Amino acid sequence: MNTQAQNTAGHMVQIRWIPKYTFIERFLHWMHTVSFLPLLLTGLVLYLPSLQALAQGEAGIWMRLVHRLAAVLFIAEPVLYGIVQPLRLWLNIKEFSFDRDDLGWIKNAFGYYVLGRHADMPPQGRYNTGEKMNGVVMIASWGAFVVTGLIMWFGKGIVPAALFRWMVILHDVTMIAAVCMFLVHLYLAVAHPLMWAALVSMRFGVTSASYAAEHHAKWYYGPKRAKELYEAKKKMASEHT
Amino acid sequence: MARKAMLIDESKCTACRGCQVACKQWNDLEGWSYSKTINHGGYENPPSLSPQTWTRIKFTEHEDAGTFRWLFLKEGCMHCGDPACVAVCPTKALKQKPDGRVTLEPALCNGCGYCSQFCPFGVPQLETYGLFSGDAKISKCTFCQDRTDNGLLPACVKTCPAKALFWGDRDEMIANGKKRVDMLQKRGFSNASLYGETLVGGLGRLYVLIEKPEAYGLPVDPQYPVTTSIWQNVIRPLGKVALGASIIGLAAAWVIIRRNIKMEDVE
Repeated sequence: MNTQAQNTAGHMVQIRWIPKYTFIERFLHWMHTVSFLPLLLTGLVLYLPSLQALAQGEAGIWMRLVHRLAAVLFIAEPVLYGIVQPLRLWLNIKEFSFDRDDLGWIKNAFGYYVLGRHADMPPQGRYNTGEKMNGVVMIASWGAFVVTGLIMWFGKGIVPAALFRWMVILHDVTMIAAVCMFLVHLYLAVAHPLMWAALVSMRFGVTSASYAAEHHAKWYYGPKRAKELYEAKKKMASEHT
Repeated sequence: MARKAMLIDESKCTACRGCQVACKQWNDLEGWSYSKTINHGGYENPPSLSPQTWTRIKFTEHEDAGTFRWLFLKEGCMHCGDPACVAVCPTKALKQKPDGRVTLEPALCNGCGYCSQFCPFGVPQLETYGLFSGDAKISKCTFCQDRTDNGLLPACVKTCPAKALFWGDRDEMIANGKKRVDMLQKRGFSNASLYGETLVGGLGRLYVLIEKPEAYGLPVDPQYPVTTSIWQNVIRPLGKVALGASIIGLAAAWVIIRRNIKMEDVE
């Protein structure tokens, strides 16, 4: 799929699109979104005293019902992924390995993502270090939400009260971690000017080849070639100075 | 406002259960469907507190040096001086009144049931209409808030034919309770004691007991759950700070990057 577009200088540029996410993956991503947001909003009603009016009486009963309905979608989403596309799920899980390039990413992340400096970002895989960290928090928080939530939902009065109390606290702690990560995720997807390709990928399933070469070199070129290119670039830069 | 309290003299209780009936009658509670009589080898009835049974006489078969006697305990909300239920209630349906009564406004309750799980005595009872929907309502003894608001005695105190129940200023109730304990000890009840003077911020329900609290199945050292403080005083403020800082931090990051890069260069 090739797209012709005009850049700001009026020149025609060719964008070559390569596939990144399957239809199922994108569908489940948005299914996760439409369950997470209602869960967050209805949960905050019990969390923030300023929203207390919405927690009281009939309104509160509705909040708790919506929280449960959304929870069903939230729990079902990764399970469906495992059933429908187990190989794709495995492919994604395999991405979660960390090495020296991840350290390099962390060192350069502030300069690149906040200050906009094109620092020597080491080559990244299909997911960069930040995306992997987001993934780890997402998976861990999903598990924690589901376990603590189901115990509070179905275990009230059955499990010891002391356990229930800790489940309430853990649910809240998990929420704090997940929401901080979600805010960063949302910012990078919709607001960060350098990350324009991310939302395109999640909407249409494709990414630009040049974007992939720059941001996900180990995935685009393969780890060996990506390393050679990275070393060559570094050498050139040091010879220039 | 002086704290009010109920003094329950278990040495006088005859377990007639008039208090149970008066409680149900005044508070319009059902007798049957939630409090079915279950024969489990004792005389007590119903078997436990329930959403429709806010007070009941617990029967304990007590044996001491070969002598058998009943111990009667009028169970119900303790109206703690430090009520954990009020601290965790997200709707303010549960309130602590200036006179120490822990009252309940059912119309505000959304049925979350936190109070039932954080109460150190396990008193509030959740009536669940649908396990899947989570639809529920909490209920507990309110010291007949509609009566005591208007200067009347709680229904159980009003009805008690054995004159075992008293209602009044807490200081007075404590003084009377101690006097009664002294008298009981002189008469040979060496284990007699007043229960609740200092527990969990001082209970609003005080017991004159003729045996040790544990013989009645009362907790010897009930605690305001430490998890309540962690949740309310640490996690909640921490969460607000973390979320606020994230939003401010990201807004600042956005401003910086928009200044630092030229959009034309973005491929």
